[in-house]
Amino acid sequence: MLLLRLWNYLRGYVIIVVEGYFIEKFINICTHRRILLWDVKVQEDQMISMRLSIKGFKHLRPVVRKAKCRVRLLRKVGLPFLFNRYRRRKAFFAGAILFVISIYAMTSFIWSVDITGNKELQTTQLEQSLAKHGIRTGALKYTVDTDRAVTGMLLEMRDISWISINVSGTRVRVELRERKKVPEIIPNDVPCDIIAIKDGMIKQVIATQGIEAAGEGDTVKKGQVLISGKIPLKEDEKKFKMVHAMGTVQARTWYEASELVRLTEVEKLKTGKVVNHYTLNLFSWKLELFHKKPSFENYKAVEVKKKLSIGENLVFPIEWVTNSFYEEKLVNAHINEEDAKNAATGKAYAKIIEKIPDNAEVVKKDLKFVNDETGLFAKVMVECIEDIGTSKKIGGN
Amino acid sequence: MSKKSGKKKIDEGVPGKKLRERFTELLELPKELVLNLPKLTIVGNGDMMIENYKNVMEYGKARLCVNTGIGVLKVIGAGLMIKEITSENIIISGEIHSIEFTW
Repeated sequence: MLLLRLWNYLRGYVIIVVEGYFIEKFINICTHRRILLWDVKVQEDQMISMRLSIKGFKHLRPVVRKAKCRVRLLRKVGLPFLFNRYRRRKAFFAGAILFVISIYAMTSFIWSVDITGNKELQTTQLEQSLAKHGIRTGALKYTVDTDRAVTGMLLEMRDISWISINVSGTRVRVELRERKKVPEIIPNDVPCDIIAIKDGMIKQVIATQGIEAAGEGDTVKKGQVLISGKIPLKEDEKKFKMVHAMGTVQARTWYEASELVRLTEVEKLKTGKVVNHYTLNLFSWKLELFHKKPSFENYKAVEVKKKLSIGENLVFPIEWVTNSFYEEKLVNAHINEEDAKNAATGKAYAKIIEKIPDNAEVVKKDLKFVNDETGLFAKVMVECIEDIGTSKKIGGN
Repeated sequence: MSKKSGKKKIDEGVPGKKLRERFTELLELPKELVLNLPKLTIVGNGDMMIENYKNVMEYGKARLCVNTGIGVLKVIGAGLMIKEITSENIIISGEIHSIEFTW
């Protein structure tokens, strides 16, 4: 019913009042002439109001004469009448047309390029190479050839293993996966040594090819040969047979980290005072609105960017940036020793865990508190057993 | 004798109409179209749709008389209003109290 009402509004209709003795006759003639009437209401005796389309109203004259009624136009409703009223206002129509054209024009450009999935590759670098393939903010949407850009990007940037480029609205979504770097593998027929990648104490050397150059209990330095691929010949000690050394070298390694135990901590408390800076970004130029330096010294800056967009995909090159500066008060808080020590130990552990490789097995953990001139330190030492061997070409680097 | 004559009367009553009615029942055709009958659809006591009518005879707030193929349909109620009227159907809304068929 709502749809019907909307349709009627779009088509336009009139509300009329019919007066006379033969109102029924009027209705019957109307229906016979296929004039649709609706909302026929009895107002008073021999007076009814009804609604009918503009076209129907134009055909009403002979009906009125036949039924001997008087018809009074009460109201004109609908869009056609509205348009008629503004017919002379050329600027209004020009504006309306301009609006439609400008919306169309604005949405036929790319206003935002979203790149996701890159870890090592710089976003700016990716943006530059995308721009080379025609995908940049401000480019005409219809000129973008995503298929060609995909192949171009894959050829150009070897570090990308997969990339997808989708244009949705005024936004381009670029999703990519980086290629995992394969460690350099020395072919089996090339002679090599196995050397240490870090300092440690040898626990076990199992050489499947080559000669063991270090034994159990030896302390080795980074770069030292552990399994040699140079095998001296029995007949002549000065001549060697070169082989591709293989094997595993398990060694104890130690990791250390220390962290200052802080008994006082500077806490930052928000005072509630805020200074907001508003900036309007239009295309590439920025319009700074009422920027005033915050009167306080310690503050935390928060930047919120809002892009004008219709839905998710229609983004316009208009951006509203709010820079909020929240005043902060610095307060020295005392922490009890126990908590401070725990916090320091936790931080030290976290530092170590970053350094330990995945294949290492943690054997022992040590915790010591050392008093220095600068203060109390939490010293954490972790002992691990891990494979420290790696192949290296003989004679190479 | 009397029995026989009685039976004959029914058969002869209105032969054309009777035959038509039987025919539509046999073929399951919509009666309102073949026999030119009005079709009424009422929702509660508020909305009513009359299809296949001839013309409006009387229209007031409390009374609406419509001429149909089988006589005058009289709708009595309060605040009756014709929501829509075309040559095929009338939609009435308001409070309907009674519906009557008269000749």
